[in-house]
Amino acid sequence: MTPLAMLRAMKRIRAVEAALAARPDHGFQLFSSGEEAVAVGVCAALKPGDQLLASGRAIGPALARGVAPRLVMAELLGRVAGPNRGKGGRGHMALPGAGFFGAHAVVAGNIAIAAGVALAAQLDGERAVVVCIFGDGACGAGALHETMNIAALWRLPLLFVCDNNGFSISTPREAALAPRRLSDLARPFGIPAATVDGMDSEAVRDQAIAFVRHARAGKGPAFLECLSERFESHSTATRETRSAEAMAAARARCPIDRAIARLRLDEAAVARMDAAVAAEVAAAIAFAEASPLPDPAEALGDVV
Amino acid sequence: MLYVLAVPGPIEDVEEVRVLEWHGPEGRAFAVGDLVVELETHKALVEVRAGQAGTLRRIVCREGDWQDLGKPLALFADAADEPLPASDQGLAALNVEFEVS
Amino acid sequence: MSSELGARKVFFREAIARAVHEAMSADPRVILLGQDVGAFGGAYKEFQGLYEAFGPARVRDTPVAEAAMVGIGAGAAAAGYRPLVSITYMDFLVLGLDALVNYAAKARFKTAGRLTAPVVVKTTSGAHGQGVAHSQCLESWLMSVAGLTVVAPATAADAYGLMLSALDHDGPIVFVDHKRLYPTTGEVPLDPTPTPIGKAAVRRHGRDATITAHGYMVRVALEAAARLEEAGIDCEVIDLRTLTPLDLSTIAESVDRTRALVTLEEGQTPCGVGTEVAFRVQRMVGAIRVARVGAMPAPVSSNPVLEAAVVPDAARVLRAVHRMLDA
Repeated sequence: MTPLAMLRAMKRIRAVEAALAARPDHGFQLFSSGEEAVAVGVCAALKPGDQLLASGRAIGPALARGVAPRLVMAELLGRVAGPNRGKGGRGHMALPGAGFFGAHAVVAGNIAIAAGVALAAQLDGERAVVVCIFGDGACGAGALHETMNIAALWRLPLLFVCDNNGFSISTPREAALAPRRLSDLARPFGIPAATVDGMDSEAVRDQAIAFVRHARAGKGPAFLECLSERFESHSTATRETRSAEAMAAARARCPIDRAIARLRLDEAAVARMDAAVAAEVAAAIAFAEASPLPDPAEALGDVV
Repeated sequence: MLYVLAVPGPIEDVEEVRVLEWHGPEGRAFAVGDLVVELETHKALVEVRAGQAGTLRRIVCREGDWQDLGKPLALFADAADEPLPASDQGLAALNVEFEVS
Repeated sequence: MSSELGARKVFFREAIARAVHEAMSADPRVILLGQDVGAFGGAYKEFQGLYEAFGPARVRDTPVAEAAMVGIGAGAAAAGYRPLVSITYMDFLVLGLDALVNYAAKARFKTAGRLTAPVVVKTTSGAHGQGVAHSQCLESWLMSVAGLTVVAPATAADAYGLMLSALDHDGPIVFVDHKRLYPTTGEVPLDPTPTPIGKAAVRRHGRDATITAHGYMVRVALEAAARLEEAGIDCEVIDLRTLTPLDLSTIAESVDRTRALVTLEEGQTPCGVGTEVAFRVQRMVGAIRVARVGAMPAPVSSNPVLEAAVVPDAARVLRAVHRMLDA
C-alpha cells in the first residue's frame, strides 16, 4: 500500500468516526482516533487470505482491512445491511470474506481465538498469516501469555499487535504492567519482538512487513508493540482523566498530519482528499440510513 | 494336580478383564517367571507370569473374551497327561505374578 | 464374545477412541487438543492409538492452559476445523469458560451466521476419591448458555454415538462424561451409529414413578429401581443423554403416566439439571409428585467417608421415591 493510500485510509477512519460521533444515535463507541496508523500500517503488510482480529476498538481495524465504510456504518448503526445484520455492532463485527475475522469486545478475549485461526491457517498449508490487535489493557491477561507460549511452541503464523495507547481506561500503562516495554513480554517465549512509534504509519508498516514475512515463512509468531495516543476518552460513556495539556500534547502528534508532512502534500491536495473522503462517508451514512433496523424476531435467530 | 488360573478380586475399580494374548498353546509347559497371558483392564495392561511350573491344559477364555475377577481363565496341571476334570470347582489357584503397566 | 449380533463389548474408553478415530479418518478437519492426549493416549487411555494413526499435526499435546486450549479450539473451529478439546477434569473447565461462553456460544449469533464455532469440549466430571477440586459435576451451569449444546453419555454405546454426533454438530458442544464410567463396559454397534442429540433413552419401563438421570447416575437409578421392585414399586428410568436441548417429550410422556418424578444428578440441586426437568415437565403435564436428588450442599472431599456422605447413592434414591409416594 502506498503512503498516499495509507493517508487516505487514516483519513477515512477519522472521518467515519467523526460523522458517527456527531449523530445523536451514535451508541456506545470506542474510537480509534489517534491510533489510525497502527491499524493502517499493520494492514498495509497483509495480503488477501490473511485474517485480522481486533478488540472492541474495532472501527479503525475494520476500515483499515478494507471493509467498506457503508458496511461498517450500517453495522455501527444497527442496520440489517451491516455485515452482521446489526447484531454484532462495533464490538463484534466480522466480515471474514474480506479478511476481517472479527472484533471481540472481551479484553484479551480474541487472542487465543486468533491463535486458533492461525492453527487453521497452518493446517491449511496456504501460508496465510493471522494478526490480532489488542490494547495495552490486554497485556495483563493470562490468555495473552498462555497464547504466546503455545504460539511459540507450535510456530503459529500469528502476529501479536499491541496497540499501546498508554491507558487502560483510566489506568496508565506503567501502573498496570511491570515490563519496561510491552514487547518484552514476548521475549521469554523466544518470540521476535519490536516496539515502534505507533503514530508513524510507515514505521508500523515496515516492521509489520518484516514480521509478517517471518510468520509466513513458517518461522512462528512475532510481537509488535506500537506506541500510540488515544485522542478521545476510552469510550463515549467514559470520562477523560487526562488534563487539557496532556490531550493537546497527544493530539499534536497526529499520525495524519505526520503523513501529510512526510508526503509534502499542499493544502489543495489535502482538500481534494478530504472532499473525496467526505463523499465516501456521506454515501456510507446514506446507505446505512436507508437500511432498516432488524425485526425483533431476529433476536432469537442464529442462536444454535 | 490341577489348578485354575484366575485374576483374584476384589480390585478397586476393576470388574472384568479382557484376554489380549495367550503366550503358548494348550500343552505348553511354563517355567517360573514365564509370561503366560496378557490381560487388559479398563486402565492397564496386565502381564501374568507363572509363579510355579506347570502345563497349560485348557484355555477357558480365548483372546478377545471377557472374564470376571476370580473366575477361570485357564486350567493348568503339574503333568501334561493328567486327566482334566468335568468341572473346575474346588481346584487350587495357580500361583502367578502380575505386572501391571 | 458379544451377546448381541452386530455389536461388540468394549471398555468405555474404547468407545470414545473408536468414535474419534472414525471421525478423524472420515474428516481431515477433525483435530484433537489437550493435555496428555498424544503418545500418552489420554488420561483414561480414551484417545489411545490416535497419535500413532494421525500424527502430531492433528493430535496435539497442550500445556496446562485451559483458557488458551478452549480459545484455540474455538478459533480453529470458526476458521473451518472440527477441534476436539479435552479438558481432563470438569473442575478446570471454568478456566476455559470465556472462550466457550463469550466467544464460541455467541459466534453464530453475533456474526448473524457468518461464523460458527463447531468445537467439541470433552470433559470428565464426578467424584472418585480425588478431592474438592477434582470431583465436580458442573454441567447444569452450562444449560442456560444460549447457543451451547450439552451431552452426557451413560453407556459405552452412547459415549461412541454421542461423540460421533458431537464431532458432526455445527455449533459448540460440551461432552460430559464421568470418572466412574471408565471402569464400565458396554456393547457398541459394529456399524457407525451416531446417537441423536436431543433424544433421551428409556432404560427401564415402569408404572409407579419416573426417575430421570444422566451420566454415572443412570446406573445408580437402575440399581435403585431394582431394589424398589423388590418393594413392589415399579420405576421407569430415563437416561437424559442430552442436557441441552432436553428431550422433554420423552420425559413428559413418561411422567404423564406415572404422575411421579424423581430427578437424580450427582451435581448440586440448586439450579441443577433436575430443577429444569421438573419445572418444564410440570408445565407440560400438570401437577405431579416430584422430588429432586442431588449432591448434598457441600464440597466433595477425597475422604471416602465424607465423599459417600455427599454424593447420591441408590439408598438415597430409594428414600426419595418412598417419601414421594408415601406422602
